[in-house]
Amino acid sequence: MKLKLLKALVFPLLIIMAACQPPAARFSAKPSAKPTTRDTLTIAWIPKALDNPVFEIGRQGALQKAAELSASGPVQVEVLYVGSVASDAAEQVRVVEDVIARRVDAIAISCNDPTACIDPINRAVLAGIPVMTWDADSPQSLRFTYMGLDNIEAGEAAAKLLIQSMGTKGNVAVLTGVPGAFNLDERINGFQQGIAAYPEIQIVTTVITNDDINMGVQALEETMQAYPNLDGWFFAGMWPLFAERGSMPLWEDAALNRGMKTVAFDALPVECELLRDGYLSGLIDQKNWSWGYDTIQIVYDHVVRGEEFPPFVNSGFNIITSTNVDAMLHAWEMNDFSQVLPDP
Amino acid sequence: MSTNNVLSHTPEKKNNWLAYHRIGWQMLVRRQELIVFILLLAAGTFLSLRTDTFLTSNNLFNVARSFSWIAIAAFGESMVIIIGGIDLSVGAVMALAGLITAIGLQSGVSVIWAILAGLLTGGLVGWANGILVGRIRLPSFIVTLGTMSIARGITFGLTGGWPVRSLLQSFRYLGQGDLILGPWLLPIPVVFMLGIAALVAFLLDYTVLGRYIYTLGNSERALLFAGINLTRVKILVFTLCSSLTALGGLLMTARLGVAAPTAGIGYELDIIAAAVIGGTSLFGGEGSIWGVLLGAAFMQVLRNGLVLLGFPAYWQSAAIGGMILIALLLDFWRRQRAVP
Repeated sequence: MKLKLLKALVFPLLIIMAACQPPAARFSAKPSAKPTTRDTLTIAWIPKALDNPVFEIGRQGALQKAAELSASGPVQVEVLYVGSVASDAAEQVRVVEDVIARRVDAIAISCNDPTACIDPINRAVLAGIPVMTWDADSPQSLRFTYMGLDNIEAGEAAAKLLIQSMGTKGNVAVLTGVPGAFNLDERINGFQQGIAAYPEIQIVTTVITNDDINMGVQALEETMQAYPNLDGWFFAGMWPLFAERGSMPLWEDAALNRGMKTVAFDALPVECELLRDGYLSGLIDQKNWSWGYDTIQIVYDHVVRGEEFPPFVNSGFNIITSTNVDAMLHAWEMNDFSQVLPDP
Repeated sequence: MSTNNVLSHTPEKKNNWLAYHRIGWQMLVRRQELIVFILLLAAGTFLSLRTDTFLTSNNLFNVARSFSWIAIAAFGESMVIIIGGIDLSVGAVMALAGLITAIGLQSGVSVIWAILAGLLTGGLVGWANGILVGRIRLPSFIVTLGTMSIARGITFGLTGGWPVRSLLQSFRYLGQGDLILGPWLLPIPVVFMLGIAALVAFLLDYTVLGRYIYTLGNSERALLFAGINLTRVKILVFTLCSSLTALGGLLMTARLGVAAPTAGIGYELDIIAAAVIGGTSLFGGEGSIWGVLLGAAFMQVLRNGLVLLGFPAYWQSAAIGGMILIALLLDFWRRQRAVP
């Protein structure tokens, strides 16, 4: 009886502990001495979360660059893809501590929170592990560089795209994710700057999706209900576009039959198809693949070749319109984003 | 009843009138649906006057469609709360059930079998919850926290973070289609919600099992002395809760046409809030299905209203939280006035 009770207590605890453990914890700290003449380079590539597919694209880029470098050079490059399941600053700190304990050779990280990342990054650097940030920075830490998108510039580009298709007047709505997310706010700021010169363009409302597809679909349709004569949309992310066609009848109808224009961030296959079929007029591609492909190159150049980098490396973005969407779709089909896209 | 001769020349009549009045008042105050019904009516009236878009059949059915799966899950959740438990795994079960069905459909299984697989997966999680809570007597809060993590983890493990898309039209019809009813197009999920509400209300109010469920929340010992198999009732309630939640998840997946591993994150709070606003007592033993339906409706009308009014996006969460607290305070006031 007592044993049963004990088992009963231990079993769920184990389950919870197992469930709560970050994937990084699965790797035990190997007491391996660092080679003096480097023949391997292990880079921990840490995204904000494992639950977001855009990071999976980045991971493929990282793996490809690692394979290319390993094939060409004397150094074997290995990528360790670890992270917290959901976007969580505290969980991510633990992941960084785990890879420090594992004595990786370098870390490339997209920070969930700029402040929370300072301490673990600095501890890694003091332990002799160079760190760079990508996608989301921690500017006050000792990271050697940050590669990312200038979100304000990208927001302005989105405004330009919308004006190109909609014209210089109209009522516009903005869709965002979690209120207060720094990068999304920057995109919206950029967008506002982009339309500032056109007083006849007005932002009538800003709606939130909480990064949830279902809530995004609802917010979109409710806004179409509230503003049936809307002329344009700016999506600071792509949340509702994941839903299948037919789930947003008002938005779809306005896009196809009433000439309403929508510009959105990211360029996942589903978005490219919507652009090709006339639902969207433009996309800002953050080059998720380069998040991995380019960061691994930067880390390699820094660690192996001793190159220095400025504090900010602009990763740039692609502008996708109907003229080059087929090239982007082709890249998705081939799963190869190394080719430069034709101009929009 | 004490007489009061001072105030009235016709004491008997006056007393009768007062007594009727008091009984009527008590009947009203004892209805668990009262507060949420009044609030819903008030919000609806306000929005109808302030916007010309709220009171359109298109908008109202859209609102109903989008709270239907929350309501269906909340029916199950309220049963768990009535027996004195809590189920935190509901949001994750919605995602897992939808995903299992979507994966089934993608691998070419027929719609019926894919749906059954999704429902069965949900039921299995509930059964495990029930065993751990009922038989092994662990607190439901911790057990369902664990199964929530497991169910969510499985959705990530199965998909690697990618949503499963391109689901069959015949499956999507369940979420996107409408039933023609005279001049109206009633969304299919709403039909499900109403049918299930009627079934669960019948189960709770008119069956022996229903009486056990309420008694379990009030006095577990009474049932124990009566020789009732409490473990079986608990397992059944948890299994029912997760099965209903799974159905809600399927309807949501069908409506969106996509099963995302991140779907339904945080929905457990909406679902519990809907149950509690609808008059379900977190202390157990009290709750009504129609109240829960109104609670879910109230939450969605609030969200809808804030968007229609053009309320600043960054303040919406605070506004919704505030309204939930007001609803709970008013319900607390009602309880105090209801003579047991």
